[in-house]
Amino acid sequence: MAAEVLVFNLLSAVAIVAAAAMITMRNPIHSAIALVVTFVNVAAIFVMLRAEFLAAVQIIVYTGAVLVLILFVLMLVNQDDLPEFHGAKPLQQVFGFGLGIVLLIEIGAAILTRTVVAEPGPWDEQGIAQAGGHIQSIGQVLYSGYVLPIQATAFVLLLATIGALFLGRPDEDEEPTPTRRPVATISLAHTRGADDAPLPQLQAANVKHEAGDRDLIMARDADEFTSIPGEDDEQKERSE
Amino acid sequence: MSELMPEHFMFLSAALFIIGMVGVLTRNNVLVIFMCVELMLTAVNISFVGFAWEFNQLTGQIFALFVIAIAAAEAVIGLGIIMALTRQRDTVDINQVRELRQ
Repeated sequence: MAAEVLVFNLLSAVAIVAAAAMITMRNPIHSAIALVVTFVNVAAIFVMLRAEFLAAVQIIVYTGAVLVLILFVLMLVNQDDLPEFHGAKPLQQVFGFGLGIVLLIEIGAAILTRTVVAEPGPWDEQGIAQAGGHIQSIGQVLYSGYVLPIQATAFVLLLATIGALFLGRPDEDEEPTPTRRPVATISLAHTRGADDAPLPQLQAANVKHEAGDRDLIMARDADEFTSIPGEDDEQKERSE
Repeated sequence: MSELMPEHFMFLSAALFIIGMVGVLTRNNVLVIFMCVELMLTAVNISFVGFAWEFNQLTGQIFALFVIAIAAAEAVIGLGIIMALTRQRDTVDINQVRELRQ
């Protein structure tokens, strides 16, 4: 039993030191790495408190997903102008630490003077073993009494996905794409023996208006005509 | 105390929560403030799991699960807002962002 307390104290000491390092580091990347240390220690504490599934979820979701997301955003934003390098604001820091100490005293008093009136429930080691294991017992409780909250959480996650897409959309003041581009099909089919003939001037007679949307241009090779006759003048007029 | 008591994890939870709160109050970087909020949510999770352990219940763990799910959604939205902010203002300083304040 004493070993359990020793391990708990060690884990919580590392977690608290890493959390304190997180808020004192100037570089936000160092803060993120300190936060990873805190989260891993908290997951170990979850294992000690009979919450193995939550420990796995903590590692996967927080350390695996959220922190990686934060590191990606840290790499994407401008790091040349970090606010912490412009000097601290003493009033802000004194206020913050003072409020923290006051809250610590209050919560400590509340913890030390609390009285327990609740009856212990059925899910001790024997109850969990009877249900077949930890995952099985959590599944029993979760899917018998909390189905509606699960649906609501799924809806919240869907809304978060839509919101992320909405927030990450590109700016709207970019150049609009041209509505219509002149398009034609260049056909390399030509009459036999015309290879040696001088290149004819491109005229309207070479362009055949097909039944579809595209015009058909008769040419001897693909580089012979690069634009559609008649369209050049229109584009010049449009640009002028 | 030779045995693991509820006060142990309650003090750990309080310490982590207060460290997160002090970070939110003293830091100027939006991303660090965001990380501190995540730390505060984790501290609340420790309380939930600890009380579930004390009273031999599983409801606390299930609430912690929901808190983790909501925290993931909040992370996505918050980081999206930070990206939109840096695209518009090119700063992560919380003191430079005053548009909602006035």
